[in-house]
Amino acid sequence: MAKQHHDVTLEWPDADRETRTVAVDEDETVLEAAERADIALPFGCRTGACGTCTGRLLEADGAESAAGDDERGTIDVTDAFSYRRSPRALKDRHRADGYVLLCIASPRVGCRLAVGASVHTELVDNPWK
Amino acid sequence: MSDANTPSDVEPEHDHDHHDHEGPGYATPQAAIEEGDREKLAYVMSLYVGTDVDAPDFVAVVDLDPDSDTYCEIVDRIELPNRGDELHHFGWNACSSSCHMEGLERRHLIVPGQRSSRIHVIDAKDRHNPELETVIEPEEVFEYDLSAPHTVHCIPDGEILISMLGDADGELPGGFLELNDDFEIEGRWEPPGEIEMNYDYWYQPRQNVMVSSEWAAPKTYYPGFDLEDVEAGNYGQRLHFWDWEDGTVEQTIDLGEEGLIPLEVRFLHTPESTHGFVGAALSSNIFHFWRDGESGEYRAEKVIDFESREHDDWDMPVPALPTDILISMDDRYLFGSNWLHGEVWMYDISDPSNPRRADSLSVGGTFGEVQEVQGRELSAGPQMIQLSLDGERLYWTTSLFSSWDEQFYPEEGERGSVMLKADVDPRKGTIELDEDFLVDWGECPEGPARAHEIRWPDGDCTSDVWQ
Repeated sequence: MAKQHHDVTLEWPDADRETRTVAVDEDETVLEAAERADIALPFGCRTGACGTCTGRLLEADGAESAAGDDERGTIDVTDAFSYRRSPRALKDRHRADGYVLLCIASPRVGCRLAVGASVHTELVDNPWK
Repeated sequence: MSDANTPSDVEPEHDHDHHDHEGPGYATPQAAIEEGDREKLAYVMSLYVGTDVDAPDFVAVVDLDPDSDTYCEIVDRIELPNRGDELHHFGWNACSSSCHMEGLERRHLIVPGQRSSRIHVIDAKDRHNPELETVIEPEEVFEYDLSAPHTVHCIPDGEILISMLGDADGELPGGFLELNDDFEIEGRWEPPGEIEMNYDYWYQPRQNVMVSSEWAAPKTYYPGFDLEDVEAGNYGQRLHFWDWEDGTVEQTIDLGEEGLIPLEVRFLHTPESTHGFVGAALSSNIFHFWRDGESGEYRAEKVIDFESREHDDWDMPVPALPTDILISMDDRYLFGSNWLHGEVWMYDISDPSNPRRADSLSVGGTFGEVQEVQGRELSAGPQMIQLSLDGERLYWTTSLFSSWDEQFYPEEGERGSVMLKADVDPRKGTIELDEDFLVDWGECPEGPARAHEIRWPDGDCTSDVWQ
C-alpha cells in the first residue's frame, strides 16, 4: 500500500527562488522530504532546539492561514503538523503565530509554507531598537 | 590516530630544536613570546548555517604574511561534509600544558558544530592545507546526554575536553565531554548534574582549579536573544570553580545582575596565578576573580563597567555587549571587544584588582568612528579577538552567532564578515587600526560567509595553558 503523503508548497518570501512543491510522506519531516527532492532548506540541530529551520504556515488544506497578518488563527498549526519531538525552539507566541520547525514536523494535510532563512529571523527582534 | 604515538613529523611554523623539551608548545608563557615566530597563518571558523547559501561551513586558512602575494586572502578552505553545523569555537589537541609529553604534537584541530553537535577532527600537519580526518556524529554525542559543544581545550595528558551547553534535547543541564587521544568519545568528564548552565572554561592545573561560565540552555539562545528569557532567569550569571583533578564543583559565585551572561573566562597565563577575568556580556561589565589566600575561596569583583549609550535611532540605551576578552601572553594587558558599541579596548592589568584603561579603538558597530576600511563598509562591531604572541598585533572578526547577528546586524549576513587588525604598542599601551589590513568573507565563492573564532597554528593567547 502506498504511503500516505501530503503536498507541501515551499515559498521563499525574501529570496529570489522559485516556489517548489514536494510530496511529504506522513512518516517523514518536511526537511527530509526537501532533502530527498534536492531542495536546500536551512537547518541546524535537527532536534527542534535551535529554530534554524523555522517555517511559517500560510495555508493548510485549502484554508488560508492568517498567521503573520492582523487576523490570526484561521487554521491551527497543531492540526496541520505532527511533531516527532517537542518543538523547544518555539515559544507559545510563535506556535500561535503559525511558526513550525521543519526538521521535526510532518504534515497531516496539504499546505503552503513560507521557508528560508528570513523566516527564522522573524522569531525575535532587536529589543533595544 | 593518536598524536601521542606518531613520530614528530609535524610541520610547525617554528621548530623546537632550540627548546629543552620534547612536547608541543612552549616551556613558559615568556618562552612563547621569545621563541614563537610572527603569525603567518590564521585558522578562522567560517559559516553559512542559517542562510540560504547551499554550502557547508568551512575552516578558512588566512594568509597573514605581509611578504606574501596572497596577504589578507583566504588561501584554503576546509569544507566540512554537512550543512547546518554553525562552526563557532575550536581548539588544538595539544597545547603548552602538554609540552613535556614526548611524541605528542599540536597537530589536530578539534572543530565542533555548535548547532549540529557534530565534532570534526582536522589534521593540520600541512599547515597550509589541513585535511578533515574524522567526524564524530551528533548521535554519538547525544548518547552522553549532551549537545551544543563549545570550548575545546586539551588536557595535559593528550586528551581533549569540550564544554557542552545542553543535554541531548538542547535543554539543561550541560556538562563536559571528554575525547581520548584517538579522538573517540571517552565519556563525560564530570559527574552529570554538577552544573546547570555552561559556556566557556579555563583551567590552571598547577592550582588544581578550573573555572566555567554560563550562557544559557541551547534552546534559549539558539533562536535569538529575547528579553523575555532574561526576565525569566533563563540566562546565566554564575561562575563555577572546579577541583580540576576530581571534576567536581567546589564553589559557585553568583555575580548578580551586574554579571549577566558571563561568557569568555580567562586565567592569567602564568601557571602560578589564581587571578582571572570574565566578561559579563549583557550587563557589560568585566569581573576580576582570584583566590583569597586566607580563606582559600575564590572571590569576584566588578572592575570595569561599560556604560550604555544613547542612540538617536534606538528606543533604549544601547549596551556595549563585551562578547570577547583575552589576556596578553605576558599577562600585562586585558583586551576586549564591545560588539554593539563598536570598540576594541586594552586595559593594563599589572594590578588585576585595578585595571587601568590604556587605549581603545572605535571601529564598526553602532557607534564606531570608523565605519569602513578600504571602502568596505563594516556591518558589525568587533567580536572574536586574537592577539599575536608578542602582543603587538590584535586581530578580530565581526560575527557573534548567526541568529544574534541577524537581530542586531542584519547586514552581516548579506555582506559577510571581515577580519581586521590593529597594531599594538605594549610599551606605550596604545592601539591603532591598520587600514592596510582587511580580509573579506563577503567575497567567498558560494556567497558571503560569517567569520568567528581565530587560532594560530602554534598556539595563541586564548588556547595555551601551562602545567
